[in-house]
Amino acid sequence: MSSQIPPTPLSFQDLIIKLQQYWAECGCVIMQPYDKEMGAGTFHPATFLRAIGPEPWSAAYVQPSRRPTDGRYGNNPFRLQHYYQYQVVLKPSPDDIQEMYLESLRAIGIDSAVHDIRFVEDNWESPTLGAWGLGWEVWLNGMEITQFTYFQQIGGLECRPVTGEISYGLERLAMYLQDVESIFDLLWTDGPLGRISYGDIYHQNEVEQSKYNFELADVEALFNTFDHAEHDAQRLIDLDLALPAYEQMLSASHTFNLLDARQAISVTERQRFILRIRALSQSICETYFASREALGFPMLDSRVQGRASK
Amino acid sequence: MNKADFLVEIGTEELPPKALRSLMTAFAENLTKAIDEARLEHGAVHAYASPRRLAVLVEKLGLQQDDRTVQQQGPAVKIAFGDDGKPTPAATAFARKCGVAIGELSRSKTSKGEWLAFEVVEKGRAAAEILPGLVEQALTSLPIPRRMRWGDGDVEFVRPVHWVILLHGRKTIKAPVLGITAGNQSRGHRVHSSGDLTISSPGSYLDTLEKDGYVIADFERRRALIISGVTAAAAESGGSIIDGESLYDEVAALVEWPVPLLGDFDSKYLSLPREVVISTLTRHQRYFPIADAEGNLLPHFVTVANLDSKDPGQVRSGNERVIRSRLADAAFFWDTDRRIVLASRQDALNEVVYQHGLGSLFDRTQRIGTLATWLATKLNMNSDDVDRAAALAKCDLLTGMVGEFPELQGIMGRYYATADGETDAVACAIEEHYLPRYAGDKLPASKEGQVLAVADRLDTLAGIFSLGKRASGNRDPFGLRRAALGVVRILIECGLDIDLKALIAKAFAIQPSGKAVEADIADELYVFVTDRLRRYFLDRDPGLSVETFDAVMVRQPASLLDFDRRLVAVQTFARLEQAKSLAAANKRIANILQKADNPDGLSINQKLLQEEAEQALFSSLVNAQRKVRPLLAARSYAEVLNELADLRDPIDRFFDNVMVMVDDDKVKTNRLALLGELRALFLDVADISRMSIG
Repeated sequence: MSSQIPPTPLSFQDLIIKLQQYWAECGCVIMQPYDKEMGAGTFHPATFLRAIGPEPWSAAYVQPSRRPTDGRYGNNPFRLQHYYQYQVVLKPSPDDIQEMYLESLRAIGIDSAVHDIRFVEDNWESPTLGAWGLGWEVWLNGMEITQFTYFQQIGGLECRPVTGEISYGLERLAMYLQDVESIFDLLWTDGPLGRISYGDIYHQNEVEQSKYNFELADVEALFNTFDHAEHDAQRLIDLDLALPAYEQMLSASHTFNLLDARQAISVTERQRFILRIRALSQSICETYFASREALGFPMLDSRVQGRASK
Repeated sequence: MNKADFLVEIGTEELPPKALRSLMTAFAENLTKAIDEARLEHGAVHAYASPRRLAVLVEKLGLQQDDRTVQQQGPAVKIAFGDDGKPTPAATAFARKCGVAIGELSRSKTSKGEWLAFEVVEKGRAAAEILPGLVEQALTSLPIPRRMRWGDGDVEFVRPVHWVILLHGRKTIKAPVLGITAGNQSRGHRVHSSGDLTISSPGSYLDTLEKDGYVIADFERRRALIISGVTAAAAESGGSIIDGESLYDEVAALVEWPVPLLGDFDSKYLSLPREVVISTLTRHQRYFPIADAEGNLLPHFVTVANLDSKDPGQVRSGNERVIRSRLADAAFFWDTDRRIVLASRQDALNEVVYQHGLGSLFDRTQRIGTLATWLATKLNMNSDDVDRAAALAKCDLLTGMVGEFPELQGIMGRYYATADGETDAVACAIEEHYLPRYAGDKLPASKEGQVLAVADRLDTLAGIFSLGKRASGNRDPFGLRRAALGVVRILIECGLDIDLKALIAKAFAIQPSGKAVEADIADELYVFVTDRLRRYFLDRDPGLSVETFDAVMVRQPASLLDFDRRLVAVQTFARLEQAKSLAAANKRIANILQKADNPDGLSINQKLLQEEAEQALFSSLVNAQRKVRPLLAARSYAEVLNELADLRDPIDRFFDNVMVMVDDDKVKTNRLALLGELRALFLDVADISRMSIG
C-alpha cells in the first residue's frame, strides 16, 4: 500500500493540544470543561448561553460528555457513555469559517489534498432546548468526524448574530489518525513515564458506570432530583439568576437521561419531561438575555478593542 | 447586436444534496418566468448546479425591454365636461396629474362608455438595470424548507452565499444580489483550485470551471460521468452495480469532481441478510453495491470521492474502514436480536404509544389482527396465519437492527420470524404488510400479506378519522391518502372481493374512541377512499371520463372489484353504436320519471298496454330481464349491457309512437311503470343517463 501513515500518529492528548493551539491562534478564548454532567459540548454555557444576544464571542474547549443510554459495559469498540467533544464557537460566524475548519484538520495532520473531506447536509434540532440550526456533518473518507452548525434559534430566541458551532468527535478522529479498531486501544500518551491507552484510563469506568446507569441508579431518588432541580431552576429564574438556574436545568436534563437509561419513563411521559425541560430552557434564555441587556451588553466592543488576529 | 447570453451563478457553501436538483430546476423556471414577465426576449435556458453553486444560463437575452404604451384612464367624459361643454374640476385635475393641457388628452371608448385618457410611452429599461431584481425575485420563491442567516447579516438563503456572477455578454452587472456585489469571478474546487476564476463570457462558463476549476457544473453531465465511472469500477471487480438509480442523483449532488473508487469488505458479512448489507452501503454511506451475474452480492462497493487524491489508497482504505465498522455493528444487532424470539417482544409494544387517543402499538396490532381475521373469514381463508402475523407485525420495530436501520422494518420482521420457526406465510405477511410503501410500489404477493396490508391501512384511516384529523391541501402528516390508495390498489389489483362499506364500519367499530359507529364519519371515509379510487381509475386509463366514473359511482358498488368490472363494462358499452341513443333515452326516461315524482312500486298491467310499440317494448323488456338475471349474478356486466343494447330499437319505436303523459291516468301510470322497470334494468349496472357519448 502506498499510504503514507505519519511515522508517529498523534496521541489522544496531542490531538487535543494541537486543536487547542490552533484555535487559540485563531483568537478563541480557550475555556475549560464545564464541571457539570452534560450530553454534549453544546450545553456548556460558553456555547449555549453565549449564543444568545448581540455580543461577539469566540471560544474553544474540550467537554466531557455523558450519554447514559450509549453505555455498553466496555464491550463495544465504538460506543461509550462518557466521551469527549472538542467544541468551537465563533460568533458572529466568520465568512471563512469552513476554511478555518479545514485548516484545523491540516494542523492535526489531515491533508485535504489526500483525504476526501465533504460537508454533507445535517441539520440540528433540539426539542428539549427549543433550539435549531442548519449545517453539515463533515465526512473524512466517508466517516463522520464533525458536526458543523449555524445556530438559528436558542431557547426560542433568534440568534443575531449567528453563532457557528464546530463539534469534533475526538475519539473517532483519533481512531482514524491512529488506525485502531477500538476506542480502548487509542494511545492516550506515550512519554518518558510510560505508554497509556484510552482503555487504561476509561475501561473500568465504562463497565461500572454502565452498571450504574442501566441497573443501579436509584429511580425514586432520580425522580426527586428532577423535581427538585426543576423547582429550584424556576425559583432562580424568578430571582433573575440565569446562570445558577441554568445549572439546575443541566442537572434536570442529565437526570432525565439517567431515568431514560433505567427505562423508567414511558413514551408518553417522555414527552412531558421534554416539555418541562424545554420550558425551563426558554425562561432561562430570556432571563439571560435580559441580564446581559441590563448590563448594557458589555462585550459588544470587545472586537474593536482587541488586537487584530491574523 | 441587441441580444447576448446571460449567466447568473450563486456561489454558496455546500447545499443540501437531496434538494439540489429541485433548487436548480426551480431557479431556472422562476428566472425564465420573471424574464418573460419583464418582456425581455430570450433563447434557450440552461440550469446548472453543483454542491457549491446554482447557475442559470439564458441564451440570447435581449439587452433592452421594448418600449410600451401605457394608457392612464381619467374621469368619464360625461362627468369631465359640464353642460356648457367646459371641463369640470375632475377633468382639470386629471390633466394636471398627467402634466398636459386638457386638449392633449385622448379618449378611450368601451361598451360601458367613454373616458378621458392619456397615453404615455414607457421607455423600455436596459436589461442590466432590471436583471438583478429579476434574479432576486427568482431566488425568493425557491422551494427552500428552512432558510438560514449567517454571520451578522440579515440575508437568508439555503446556505451562506459567497459570490454572485451576473454576466450579460461580456459585461458584468455590478449590482447587489443576496447582499453581495455581483461580478464575474467564480470559484473552483475546494482543493484542486484556489483563488478566483474569471468567467469571460457566459458561453465559457462550463469550460472554464471544468478546465481551470476542476468543477463539472452541469448536473446531468456529472451524473452521466458518475454512472459510467461506477459501472467501469464495478466491472473491474467482476460484477455490476445494483440499486444505482436510487443513488445517482444524490451522489451527483455531493461532488463537484467525481472520482469513483472501488473498495472491498470482508466476505463474512455476506452472511448477513442481503437488505442489511445493501442498506448499510447505500443509505448510510452512499456507496454502490455490486453483484455478480446471478445477482448475488459481492464483497465490493464503489464510492465516489470528490477529489483526485494524491494518495487514493488512503481514501479507499478510509472508506473501507467505515463500512467495516458499520457492518460489524449490523452483525452485532443480527446476533443479539435473534437471542429473543420476536413474539416475546409483544409486551414491550405496550410501552410504545402509537398515537395519543389510539393506544399503544400493542393495541394497534390487536385491532389489525381483528380486522385481518374478519377479512380472512369473508374471503374464506384460514385466519390463523393472518392473526399470528398481525400479532408479530410490529415486533421488529423494537429490535436493534430496525432501530439502526428504520427502512428495514418488515424485512427484518420476516428474517427474525423465519429464524423463530414461524410459518413462511406468517413471515412473508409481516414483510408484505408494509406494501405498497409509495406510489407505484409493488403489492403484497401473498393473500395473507394482502389481508394484513389492508387491515393495517384501514386501522390507520379509521383511527385518525375518529380523532377528527384529516388530510388537507398538501398537508397529510399521517399519510392518509397513501393509505387509502394502497387499499384501493390491493383490493382491485389483488382481486379481494370485499364490501368496502362493511370493512369501514368494522374498522370504526374497533377504534378505542367508542363513538366509532357514527354513520357520517364512516361515510366521510368512504368518500375519501372513493376519491382515491377516481384518481386511480383516471390514472390507469387516461381515456376514462369523469362522467363514466360517476355513472358507476352513483350505484356505490359494495366491492371495488365489482366497481372495476362495471366500469370496464360501461366503457366497452360506450363504444357500441347503440350507446349514444340509449344514453339519451335513459336521460329522457329519468326526466319523465322525475317529473312524475319518481313513482315507486308501480307494476305493469299487461292488459293496459294498448299500442303495438309499447307491447313490443314490454316483451323485449321481459325477455331482457330473463336473460340478464344470471349475468348480473355472475357480474358479467359487459354481457348485460350487450343484451340491453338490443333494447335500443324497441325503445326508440316506443318514444316515436307512444305518448306517456296521456290524460287517462291508468294508462299513464302503466306507461310510467314500464319505463320505471326499464330504467331499473339499466341501473342494475350503472346510470348510463349520466354519460356523454360523442
